[in-house]
Amino acid sequence: MKEELDLKTIKDAAHRLLFDMSEEEFLTLQSEFKVTLKQMKVLGEIEGIDEVAPMTFPIETKITYLREDVAEEPLSNEEVLSNVKEKQSGQIKLPKVVL
Amino acid sequence: MNNVIYEATIGLEIHVETKSNSKMFSSAPNVYGKKPNTSVLPIDLGMPGTLPTVNKKAVENAIKLSNALHMEIDHTLYFDRKNYFYSDLPKGYQITQNERPIGKNGYLLVKLDGKEVRVDIERLHMEEDTCKQLHYTDFTLLDYNRAGVPLCEIVTLPCIHDAKVARLYVEKIREICVYLDVSDGKMEEGSLRCDVNISIAPKGSEQFGTKVEIKNLNSTANVEKAIAYEIERQKSLIENGEKVRQETRRFDESKMETVLMRVKTDAVDYKYFSEPNILPISLSDKFIEDTISSSYELADVKFERYTQEFKVSEYDALTLLKNRSLALLFDETVETCSYYDLLIHFINGDVLTYVSGMNAIFNLSAKHLGELINLVGEKKISNAQARDIFKQIVKSDESPIDIVKKNDISQISDEATLLTLINRLLDENPTAIQDFKNGKGRAASFLVGQIMKETKGKANPALASKLLNEELKKR
Repeated sequence: MKEELDLKTIKDAAHRLLFDMSEEEFLTLQSEFKVTLKQMKVLGEIEGIDEVAPMTFPIETKITYLREDVAEEPLSNEEVLSNVKEKQSGQIKLPKVVL
Repeated sequence: MNNVIYEATIGLEIHVETKSNSKMFSSAPNVYGKKPNTSVLPIDLGMPGTLPTVNKKAVENAIKLSNALHMEIDHTLYFDRKNYFYSDLPKGYQITQNERPIGKNGYLLVKLDGKEVRVDIERLHMEEDTCKQLHYTDFTLLDYNRAGVPLCEIVTLPCIHDAKVARLYVEKIREICVYLDVSDGKMEEGSLRCDVNISIAPKGSEQFGTKVEIKNLNSTANVEKAIAYEIERQKSLIENGEKVRQETRRFDESKMETVLMRVKTDAVDYKYFSEPNILPISLSDKFIEDTISSSYELADVKFERYTQEFKVSEYDALTLLKNRSLALLFDETVETCSYYDLLIHFINGDVLTYVSGMNAIFNLSAKHLGELINLVGEKKISNAQARDIFKQIVKSDESPIDIVKKNDISQISDEATLLTLINRLLDENPTAIQDFKNGKGRAASFLVGQIMKETKGKANPALASKLLNEELKKR
């Protein structure tokens, strides 16, 4: 694990997460990461830690519920489009999108 | 450079929209072809405060598919969020299974030129479909009916080296989906969609070449054509000293070539993390076993049964198996009819022609089809008569036995009766006898026609023809 996150990595992550910050905020975040990484290092030194499966939820619990496959009455087209600014032919209209 | 032999490495990703009454995580109806934005609930629109619940049927479909693809099935379901920002995704993320796919490490065998080729399948995971976008020149329309439709994504390892194998694999996946009844597998309607990853490298090389992705292939024929084109395109780039770029392309059907969509400059970062709104779900051994044992019979199993048990030819069995509803009709009919060859020929011929012509569900019961083929098998009616009766029973669902009785339809297979008629006709047509002796084959056909005319089509044609030939030779 890296001891320290450089500013370039943090800025790249911010870019990927689609947000921007001031230079000062980036520096604050970098110093906060320093503390976090130090704590992780302490955890990483615990013997046998690699054998412990990572938890994905704060409590270890499993459910068995699956929803029965029964269709319910859907919303009307008017309801679906009630928050829509621009519509056409029962659909939501937006500026041309090309990924 | 020109002497280098290149080998293509191909991996396939197939998205299958699975059949269910409701969507993957919401109770909105899962239907195709409805008016835009009329099969939608707040969950599908990503409204705040809504929570996803996992559809049992979608899980069952995924288990059945995983089992048919010889996969290890995970007994706990985990879901993850795949984050990306695009207008087809109302929540800003797609719920999928990234870390723990429901199925892993499977394979399929496909037959190429009589030889079995193994395709290794890395994973099968469940996810939700995105909304449908219609792109116009200067605007885009969104239809959320498709948003949340259950999907199974099936991903192979990069282990295919031949465009034909890729096509056969997609065909096999489609056949399995259709026979398990987990999807209608219609590529033209988008319920089975295929993306291809392809690279080339000198044969024997341990490193893969640069990977190009071809998206949204809408038929199995196009899968093969697009790959074949792409292999040649990449080869010619390399041979001309150019580099293959990492890019996404699409197949232009009219030009029969792949066209650039976008260059991939950076790996897309989907920032996967566990879906916090769905806790891990335990599937009991019984649930999985019951789901597997309730799976419908696959085409391969039917093929074995038809050729081994019913002794029909491989060709006839394969022809029948191209259409699942006709195979099911055959299965039901053999319970009351044991003229297997007659039955399979009738279904592959007359029934198939009728179904293709009307392009709709038809009104034919297995019981009546069985009666009809039994009448032919017992030589009570001719094939031609059976064809006429078939046209009536698909419209009226009347019993063929009743139709035969009501219209006094029967077949004359009595040799004495036929011989009397044949000899009378020969006496009346000396010219035809002379023509026959002079080698004019049409003379015999003319006389058979006369027999059918005199008997109003009731004479057994094969028997009449045989007897006529014998009598002609005596004269």
